Order: sequence, then C-alpha cells, then structure tokens
Amino acid sequence: MSPIASSWAAEVAAVFVKEWRCEFRTRYALNTLALFAFTTLVVTSVSLGPMGIAKAQGSAVLPVLLWLILLFSVAAGLPRAFVQEEESQTATALRLAATPSALFCGKLLYCLTLVMALELLVTPVFLTLMSLGVESPGLLAAVLAAGGYGLAVGSTLVAAIIAQARTKGTLFSVLSFPVLLPLLLLVVELTRTAVAGGIGDMGSTAGVVLPQLLLYDASVSVAGLMLFPVVWNP
Amino acid sequence: MPPPLDTRLSFENLRRRFGRLSVLEGVSGEVGPGELLLVTGPNGSGKSTLLRCLAGLLAPDRGTIQYREDDRVLETDERRRRVGYVAPDLALYSELTAAENLEFFARLRRTGPEWGLEVLRRLELPTDRMAGALSSGMRQRLRWGWAMLHRPRLLLLDEPFQNLDAPGEAATRGLLYEHLDQGGLAVVANPSSLEIERVTHRIELGR
Amino acid sequence: MKTLLAWLLWLWIALVIWAAFFYAPGAAENFQVPTSYRILFFHVPMAWASFAGFIGSAVWSVLYLRSRNPRHDLAAAAAIQLGLLFGVLATVTGAVWARIEWGLYWNWDPRQTSLLVSLLFYGAYLALRGAVDDPEKRARLAAAYAILGLVVTPFLYWIVPRITFSLHPEPVVNAEGKSQMSSDISRVLLASSVGFTALFFWMHNLQTRLLVLAERKSAGGDQGYGA
Repeated sequence: MSPIASSWAAEVAAVFVKEWRCEFRTRYALNTLALFAFTTLVVTSVSLGPMGIAKAQGSAVLPVLLWLILLFSVAAGLPRAFVQEEESQTATALRLAATPSALFCGKLLYCLTLVMALELLVTPVFLTLMSLGVESPGLLAAVLAAGGYGLAVGSTLVAAIIAQARTKGTLFSVLSFPVLLPLLLLVVELTRTAVAGGIGDMGSTAGVVLPQLLLYDASVSVAGLMLFPVVWNP
Repeated sequence: MPPPLDTRLSFENLRRRFGRLSVLEGVSGEVGPGELLLVTGPNGSGKSTLLRCLAGLLAPDRGTIQYREDDRVLETDERRRRVGYVAPDLALYSELTAAENLEFFARLRRTGPEWGLEVLRRLELPTDRMAGALSSGMRQRLRWGWAMLHRPRLLLLDEPFQNLDAPGEAATRGLLYEHLDQGGLAVVANPSSLEIERVTHRIELGR
Repeated sequence: MKTLLAWLLWLWIALVIWAAFFYAPGAAENFQVPTSYRILFFHVPMAWASFAGFIGSAVWSVLYLRSRNPRHDLAAAAAIQLGLLFGVLATVTGAVWARIEWGLYWNWDPRQTSLLVSLLFYGAYLALRGAVDDPEKRARLAAAYAILGLVVTPFLYWIVPRITFSLHPEPVVNAEGKSQMSSDISRVLLASSVGFTALFFWMHNLQTRLLVLAERKSAGGDQGYGA
C-alpha cells in the first residue's frame, strides 16, 4: 500500500477507534439501542405472542415487525454519532483536522458495528419470543448483513445532514424514512422468503431481489461518499 | 518547522451576514511570514466571524481568501487542515484524556503527537487527565497544544489568552513569538485590553 | 414577450379544458365507467408535473453545488414546492377517479404508492429547509438531500410494482397508449400534457423569483441573487 493510501485507512481506523473508545466510556449509544430495542420487542411480543399467530400470517407479518424494531432502534441511537459532535462542539476540531471521506467511512464503520450488534441481540430473541421458524437461515443472515449495512449507511448520511439543523430528533425520522423505504421493502420481502422458504410473495425470488438490495447499498454508499463532504464542510 | 519559503495569507472584500445582520462588510487584509495581524473591534463586530472564514469553517457571502504555501495557492479544503486554530468554542473530547485527544488528532493529521505533547509539557498541562475534568484555564492550554500539533504555518487565534493565569499567558505568548520568529503567520483577535507587541498589521472592525 | 407567452399559456389551457369536455368523445372503451375517463386529461399531466418537480430539484441541486449560486438553490426549492402541489392534486384526482372506477379511494396500486412516497420526500425536504436558519448551510444540506432522494427513488419503481397489485390501466395510460386510445383522446391528452408542463415551468419561474425576493427582503439588501 502506498503511504498516502495507508494513511487514509489509518484515519478511518483512528475515527473508528475513537468512537468506540468514547462509547465504552459512556455506553450511551449501546444503552439507548438496547433499551429501545428490548422495550419494543417486549411490547410487540406481549401483544402478539399470546394470541399465537398462525404460521401463514406469521411469516408475512413478523418480518415487518422485526425490521420496524431495528429501524426505530437505529433512529433512536444512531444519529447521535453526528449530533453529539455538534452539540459538544467537537465538530469544529474534526472539521479542521479530518479528511471528510475518512471521517465518513470511520463513522459508517462505527454505525455498522452498532447495527450488527443490535441485530445479533434482537433477532434471536425475536425469533424465540415469536416462535418463528426460519426455512433458510443462510438467506436470513445475508439479508441481515446487507440490510443492516443499508440501514447504517443511509442513517449515517442523514444523521450528518440533520446534525446541523434544529429539531434533530424528529427531523431524523422524517428525513430518513423516505430514503430507507426502498431498503425496508426489499429486506422485508427477502426476510419473508427466508422465513417461508422457497419463492417469496408475488413470484419473486431471492435471486432477483438480493442483487437489488446490494445495488441499493452500493448506490447509497457512493452517494454518501460524494455528498458527505458537501454536507460536512461549507 | 521547515523554513517557510513563501507563506502568505490575503483576503479581500469579505462579506458575511446572518439574516438581517451584516457582520462583515468588505474586510480586507494580508499577512506574511513572521507577521502578526491584529483584529480589533467591539463585541459583535465580526472578529470571530472573520477568523472562522479564514479557517474555512464559514463560507463568506462575497470576497476572496487566498492562502499560499511555497508558491502554491491552497484550496479551502487544504487550507482548513493546515491552519492552527484556537477559539473559545473549540472543544475536544471530554471522554478522552489530553494525550488521547492529541494522539487521535495526530493520526487524523497524519503526523505524530510528539510536538503537541511537548507544547502541553511546556504549558504544564497533565496529559493523563480526562479533558472533561479540566478547568477552563487548562482547557485553554489544551487548545493551544491541539492547535500547534501539526506545526502549522498559519495560526488563527480567537481570544488566545482567555482564562489563562499569568504564567499560562506568558508561556502561550512565548509560543506565539517563537512561531513568528520561525517565519510563521498569525491572525489574532483579542478583545481584551492586553498589549501585544510585534503587531505588524491591524484591522479595525465595527461600526 | 413574457406577458405574451403567459397569455398564450392561459389560452392553451383554456383550449385544453374546452377540448376535454367538448372535443373529446363522451365515453371511452377500456374504462369501467366510460364517461368518467375525462379526469385522465388532468390527473396524468399533474402526476408528470409532480415528477418533473422531483427531477428538477435534483438537477438544480447539482447545479447549486457546482456554482454555489443561491438562485439555483431557490430554484430547487421551488421545484419541490410545485412538485408537492401537483403531487397532492394528482393524488386527490387519482383517488377520486379510483373511487369511481374501482370502488375504492386507495388501492395500493404501484403508481399511487410511488406518488405517495414522493410526497413524503417532498415534505421531508421542505421540513429540512425549515429547520436550518443560515441560507448557505440550508442550501447545501437541502441540495445533498435532494440528490440522495433521486438516487434512492428509482428503486421504488422496480420494487413497488412487484409487491403491489396494479389497477392502473397499463395499456391505456402509457406513452404508447395511442394504439389503445382513440386519436381524439390521445390528442387532448398530449395537448394537456404540453399545457401542464408549460404551466409547471411558468409557475416555477414565478415561484423562484418570489423566493429570491423573499430572501433578499429578509436579508435586507442585495445578496448577489441578481444574476
């Protein structure tokens, strides 16, 4: 690796390490995510579980609930990655020192690990509480990975945008929902397929939908890399 | 710091408004190697705004800023990363120690933390304390350590001696003079009535 | 010259309205309620105008990011505002027609759904603008969001038709509809589309100028918007 490239990677790593170091010392994001996720999880399962959803209905409805839990937990805990920088006024120092692309990737990696941790925590508990069997665990894992990445990258960019606005809390949800909707539709479709097995709704197969999900991830990543410097610096 | 061949900052006709309020109304100036530009004016006259524009933290509505190093004019993005900036609203991570802060920013700036830590040693700031636990005077010393970290040729100082006791002020002023002696540039906004010798240029803002 | 064009536009629209009711045939095949099809002359162009607003805002946003000319930013905002206006009108006329044709105001048909989602996006964009005070920051944040929206929306056009059931009369209401519609109807539809597109750009021009003036007023002086 040429010296300049390795320095960029070193910058990304530095941002990533800093995020987690600060996070371990405050545990703010982890607590928020975990608390929110579990509260929603319990509310959902207590309302639905005892009624015992029929298998056919369950495989259609429960994937939606899973992703809603993930989405709202992300909305509760992720924007802080950028909002905190602005509120504690450390953003100025970052603006003067960091390469925007490295900063974006570092933050993205941090948000990604948060989302992955969230999914690892929520999914098994959800499947257990709802007694939801999964026909293709491999597909489910792939969807959680690719879908989780999509959640992370979309949320990171939107968080960077709203961090510089007023009314950040509500604004994040308002702005991120239209952007994340295609992602949600894709992952729900794929999750239903993974749960029910075989061909999913309306004759679509994972072979058609999964590439679309990956394309979404790639598109938003490219858009994020190109738009972040504009959002971050005047 | 390597001997600066030709480092020069010049700005012309800078204008900036916030809503109805016109804060900068056509400000011009320049500063060269070893020179110090002092910006004076009453509260609200735009001194901080000017420094933010020069640092690349704020885009002026009109006007130009030109910063050259070694006969090359730097883009705003490059200039932003090259300056050393001290200001009251600049904060570092309170969950990290002073040393950890400098190490982090050194990695971002692709340099080592040694010089920054040396500055903190000179300013007598213990580096193993959490930045959030520092008093306001110590935080100001930390700002200086952060600003000097990458040996910038251009220092932009907004209230640089704020909250410092006499020894701290003497030490930071020494750093500033050393910087100038080595051919560095400085733009200083100092609303207090402190005398600063070695002022080469002056701009007076205000109505 | 501008006044002449404006008068021509009004004349054109008036002609379209007349044609919709008197020139076009009283009833059309391919529709459940043949006499209700006339709403098509207004609903379809309005949906396209809304779409034009979306595309336009992304284009002007890109222009803004390159030029940093505040006028481009305001043009983008105006495009979204008009996109929202036409989009709401298209949704309402579509819902009314759906009720008459198929018995339900809302059917989760892909076009209805896509239109609704784009309305959400317009609202989000305008909410973002409302939440940023500094014009320069507002402009670049809004521009970034508009471009992000454009990147993400095409996915809906693939996904939504797959997961919803379409009631929209596909053979009639596409660009090659001429083979299915009588030539009178397609002529009026074309004329209406032209009229609405022109109307969109005329309104956009007005709205942009209004926004520029408002910005100038709140800033209390010339801000370089003149050019």
